[in-house]
Amino acid sequence: MKFRGIMIDAGPMREFTNIVTTISKLSKECVLRLSDDKLYFIVSEDNSGPAPPVLWCEIPQVVFFSEYQMIGIDEEHKDIYLSVISANLAKSLVTLKSAKSLKIKLTKKQCPCLTLEIEMQSVISQQSRQVTHDIPVVVVPRKMWSDFHEPKVQTPDISIELPTLKQLRTTIDRMRTMAQEVVIRASAEGKLTLQIKTDMAKVSTRFKDLRVEAFEGPIDHSDSETESVAIEDISKLCHCRVDAKKFSMFLSADNISHNRTICSIVHKKLVILCLYTQENVKLQCFITGIVY
Amino acid sequence: MDDGTSQYYFTASMDSGKTLHSLLKAIQFQESAVFCAMSEGLKLTVEEGKCVQASAYVPADNFTEYHVRDDVDVIFKISIAVLTECLNIFGASEESSLKMYYRSEGSPLLLVLQPQSVHTVMTDCEIATQTADCLLELRDEDATEVAKLVLKASAFLGLLADLERSCDVMELHLSPDHPNVSIVTYGMQDRSCIEVPKSSDMMQSFSCEQPVTLKYQLPHIRLIMKALAISSKVVLRCSSNGLLLLQLKLEKDEQRQMFSEFHIVPLLDDY
Repeated sequence: MKFRGIMIDAGPMREFTNIVTTISKLSKECVLRLSDDKLYFIVSEDNSGPAPPVLWCEIPQVVFFSEYQMIGIDEEHKDIYLSVISANLAKSLVTLKSAKSLKIKLTKKQCPCLTLEIEMQSVISQQSRQVTHDIPVVVVPRKMWSDFHEPKVQTPDISIELPTLKQLRTTIDRMRTMAQEVVIRASAEGKLTLQIKTDMAKVSTRFKDLRVEAFEGPIDHSDSETESVAIEDISKLCHCRVDAKKFSMFLSADNISHNRTICSIVHKKLVILCLYTQENVKLQCFITGIVY
Repeated sequence: MDDGTSQYYFTASMDSGKTLHSLLKAIQFQESAVFCAMSEGLKLTVEEGKCVQASAYVPADNFTEYHVRDDVDVIFKISIAVLTECLNIFGASEESSLKMYYRSEGSPLLLVLQPQSVHTVMTDCEIATQTADCLLELRDEDATEVAKLVLKASAFLGLLADLERSCDVMELHLSPDHPNVSIVTYGMQDRSCIEVPKSSDMMQSFSCEQPVTLKYQLPHIRLIMKALAISSKVVLRCSSNGLLLLQLKLEKDEQRQMFSEFHIVPLLDDY
């Protein structure tokens, strides 16, 4: 098993740092999967045993690395799966935002390590410094790879573009102080509603004029406690109840500069937030719906 | 209003709910408040253990539109925590317009908020209302005013912040003679005293005929600090029964004003 990569462009280095920082906020541990053409960051829910990933991030190596070499275990198992404490990786990468280059490789010290060699340009002189971090990793055995496959999800009933994540997060954070769960509603007419309901209050924030990417309606509402929204055609409306804290955490991905974000909903079951960046990174978060 | 809301008990709207939010935040030391809409303005009152009564008062001219039915009492209890969160739903960096509706007794208070910068989003809140509890009637008609001070709020806040945190009791000495104001606190091993003569910069006016000494619970006095932080001027009145009344004027550029008011009951152990 071998892995070695070099990054020299400022943009991708900044983005890489932001991605890792975001992941470290979401989870203690993550799995870094290396393949020929892509790097993957995969997060499964903490302490819940084998479960489908909650975060799936694909990074095309061509855009990020000027040099990229890797050899997997054998011909049939070409990939490398490494489990790493995400905070360790995030802390080591803090200086990367102002670095000249990053060399990243898989090394064998006392234990397997990801070794990061960051070259920093000195502010006052022509000389540069080199900072080396050894981050212990665990090589994930082949038989456990299947735990980290891309989640197979049902075709979403609707995919709708999200308003700015910062705005969305501010609102969710206010709602979170009042209730634990938030209902996300999206309609084929480009409306998105966030709603909480408690004994004290019912608060709904409505966004409109959002672009609908796909709609697989009509939605079957026959089994629901139909709260008749008389004006709207409810067959074009789909909703999902999720944990407000989780939703807010995923929205912290707003510090990764992104082109667009899409929210997909499988009616009552699942919310998928998908973020695309300039550097062709695709980051997906899966939040399972709460059903009573 | 011609969209059928003219029969509502109370409707109001304003261009920015931000100042209202910070004013309510300043008196939010209890979960619920009594919301009272009068024709002169809106008043929210919070009480702490029958010893402190704090009100936020928003005169009607702060609203672009303000309507209260005059044949009914518009008074109810509401969660002030929820109300402030709702007012801030788009975050502190966003100015958002606010509309309030209250249809009739027992109806929820409806709020509609819309940010000024983005027009594709709006929030509506239905906040449950309850029958209002009786508020303390702290004003005593027979008591006379024995002292009145007008102070700069920021300087007074600095002074309160300097007081030892571990102290429970604050003594306030007011006298026509120098030093006109002294504030004494007793700690474990020390006695500290802050003296403010009436010539001080922070004192805008001072009137006191007879020397008086009053004691208050320091934690009660501290409750006004948040309000002081957003106010420009504070009027402090002591009445002959020891009740302390603080009236704070909110710092605002425009002509229109908002106020907060605190009544604080004295400690009467050895008087």
